[in-house]
Amino acid sequence: MAVIKVSNLKKVFSSKRKSAGLQGSLRSLIRPEYQLVDAVNDISFEMESGELLGFIGPNGAGKSTTIKILTGILFPSSGDAEVLGYVPWKQRQKLAFHIGTVFGQRPQLWYHLPAIDTFYLFGKIYELEDREVRKRIGFLAEAFEIQEFLETPVRKLSLGQRMRCEVAASFLHSPKLLLLDEPSIGLDVVAKQRIRDTVRQMNELEGVGVLLTSHDAGDIEALCSNVIIINHGKIAYRDKVSNLKRHYLTSKLVEVRYAEQVPAGFHIAGTDTLKVGHYGVKLKFDTLQTPVESVIAELAKSGSLVDVTISDPSLEEVIRVIYGEAAA
Amino acid sequence: MKGKFFFLIALWKANLLSAMEYRTAFLSQVIGMVLNDAVYFLFWVIFFNKFKEVRGWGLSDMFLMFGIVAAGFGIAAYLFGNVMNLAELISQGQMDYYLAFPQPVLLHVLASRSIASGFGDFSYGVISFFLAGQFTPAALGRFALGILLSATVFLSFLVLVQSLAFWIGNAQMLSSQAINAIISFSSYPNTLFDGTSKLLLFTLIPAAFVGAVPAEFVRSASWESFLLLIAAATTLLLAASVTFHRGLRRYESGSALQIQI
Amino acid sequence: MKKYWAIFKIQLLNRMAYAGDLIIQSLTIILFMWIFMQLWKTTYHSTSQDTLNGLTLHDTMWYLMMAETIMLSKPRLSRTIAATVKDGSIAYLLNKPYHFILYQLSIGVGDLAARTLFNLLSGSIIVWILVGPPPDPRGWPLVIVAFMLGWLIDFCLNTLIGLAAFASEEIAAFEWIYSKFLLLLGGVLIPLDFLPPFLRSVSMALPFAYTVYGPARLFVDPTLERFAGLVSMQLIWLLTLGLFTLFVFNKASSRLAINGG
Repeated sequence: MAVIKVSNLKKVFSSKRKSAGLQGSLRSLIRPEYQLVDAVNDISFEMESGELLGFIGPNGAGKSTTIKILTGILFPSSGDAEVLGYVPWKQRQKLAFHIGTVFGQRPQLWYHLPAIDTFYLFGKIYELEDREVRKRIGFLAEAFEIQEFLETPVRKLSLGQRMRCEVAASFLHSPKLLLLDEPSIGLDVVAKQRIRDTVRQMNELEGVGVLLTSHDAGDIEALCSNVIIINHGKIAYRDKVSNLKRHYLTSKLVEVRYAEQVPAGFHIAGTDTLKVGHYGVKLKFDTLQTPVESVIAELAKSGSLVDVTISDPSLEEVIRVIYGEAAA
Repeated sequence: MKGKFFFLIALWKANLLSAMEYRTAFLSQVIGMVLNDAVYFLFWVIFFNKFKEVRGWGLSDMFLMFGIVAAGFGIAAYLFGNVMNLAELISQGQMDYYLAFPQPVLLHVLASRSIASGFGDFSYGVISFFLAGQFTPAALGRFALGILLSATVFLSFLVLVQSLAFWIGNAQMLSSQAINAIISFSSYPNTLFDGTSKLLLFTLIPAAFVGAVPAEFVRSASWESFLLLIAAATTLLLAASVTFHRGLRRYESGSALQIQI
Repeated sequence: MKKYWAIFKIQLLNRMAYAGDLIIQSLTIILFMWIFMQLWKTTYHSTSQDTLNGLTLHDTMWYLMMAETIMLSKPRLSRTIAATVKDGSIAYLLNKPYHFILYQLSIGVGDLAARTLFNLLSGSIIVWILVGPPPDPRGWPLVIVAFMLGWLIDFCLNTLIGLAAFASEEIAAFEWIYSKFLLLLGGVLIPLDFLPPFLRSVSMALPFAYTVYGPARLFVDPTLERFAGLVSMQLIWLLTLGLFTLFVFNKASSRLAINGG
């Protein structure tokens, strides 16, 4: 059963274009010029009940806009969407009872109070019975391992502890769908992992569907089973994460610098040479086809290494590749 | 309905608990405001000491009116603190946060903040009322009613002005001027104003309904002033609600100012 | 010397760039003047006297305009200075190639000039409409001198309050007390001429009267006699307070140097 059904969703923003200076201001007053931005440009997709779906894309790709439309905060310019059977922008309040949101940039827990007080407040916001709330808090405290500091003022908690409480709070009213917008921003590796594990746990226990937006591919990799890549307001890719990994997240970028000059036509078997300079080389290779070990060994054999940098392809690059494939 | 009511109480409780974490700061803000209002009132003490009575208004009348204005303002600021910076919240896109919840947005926004010094204004208002010498329980009852209606007018007027932020850019500055205006006008005896100025105080800047009319109601228990007050409060409340929700629709369509894609 | 002039100019230009804001802010004085007019017109009328304590309605209005302009145009120096003390940045500012106090002075005058200009303009226009032309323009140069001296006294007092941040966590209480003294005993809310004799003598013994009342009163009645009397008192206060301020500042900065901020 699909919990989210989106078809041909479009959102166009028009912002007034104003040139600098007094003349510009006057001109924009008399004859305003508008600049149209296609934030969401004909998106269609479905999300199943209990699915762990990731939504990635670079900044400005249209992720946040889509999430806002799905929560009913924004009206689309055209197209349809249905979340848990509700039309979000028409039945926003009713829908709000059944979904949870965690916006990484905007905390929900009251800063000066212990998290448990915010939990009780949420109980009232979602109109739950006191007894229900108490039981639920007990359950969530155990699941997220936050019992120890539940009664400590939030301002005294570490960022990781705070985020665990934030995510726990979003589960209080047993939502059927959880929308996470950049939840692990600014967190260290351990904290991130903690949150991902617990969200996954809740998904398994209660069948809560999770829609996660991020521009950190690691989030998606660790948590989601399916992923949608969105760019310039359009869907560039929609598939299982396992496929994404298999096809794209296996390439490596290597940059090396030698003490001696690099001969022209420098090449290592099994790699794509991207750039050859006087003392440096930049190349790319697929770890599934050429093992890392052999590339490093070859590079070391070819001269005296002064510096080496190995990196994963950026999300932009992955998207570019995907786009390239889509075009081809 | 019941759910909304308990939600509101829960919000007020959370604000109170938050303030209690910093007990001394809370107390000093409350006391500070009581003293502040008292000093402003000293002006009237000095003034009436010299001029005895002006157009039928004497010191005890001032005590009464000041009491209503202060207490009404205090309640509004203490229970619905975000009314003072609604325009700012709107222009920063903070409505998103409240829209994600299942409770009425306006109520949720307004009650999410509590201005501690408002409690000081309220306390001073009550003290001022007693200094006016109206000791009957009926008068106290009228005072309570008067404060409630005065606060409603004040809140509604502000929500109306602050909601302009959904449409224009500099609503914050305008709002602070509006706050200034309505408080200043309501703290002066309305017999001072005539003709066009009086009209202004009953319409564009409804200061008369914040101070003078409720004061008249408490003093003379006249049905006229009571009905007038109720009419004004209901009209303004409706106007404020309609304006805010219109603006919210505009906000949701994305044509309000800040957008983050 | 040249650098302080440059700092003053930049601050002034900075403020003028936001002329729109300055205009909206000057709405406050228009509002106040209009309310005051209603109050004092009625008051004068009810006493059936043209002159009260030597002031006519015309005089009172122009006095209040000047007093409010001074009050509303003052920059919040104590706040800025206290902030640099509290976050420790004052330690860095002391190492700059200019004197901290003189720097604050230049910035302050820049802010002052911008706001005074707009407030004076708006206030004058409305009071002219209400009661007629301003008092003798020949007195204006005298008033400017008195105004600057008065502001310098205010600057010293503000600096002292700001520096109090070295000793006390929260200086808000001192700020508050100072502004209340100004309101009542400095002649902002009511011309000191209207005060009962005892309060009058108290206020003339304090420096506050020479920052607001003095220049505003001179503006209304610009005689050389009055000017001489005022300026001599101002200079006495300025010398005393100025030296004291420098003393406190030197003490504070040497303490800073020893303790390393």
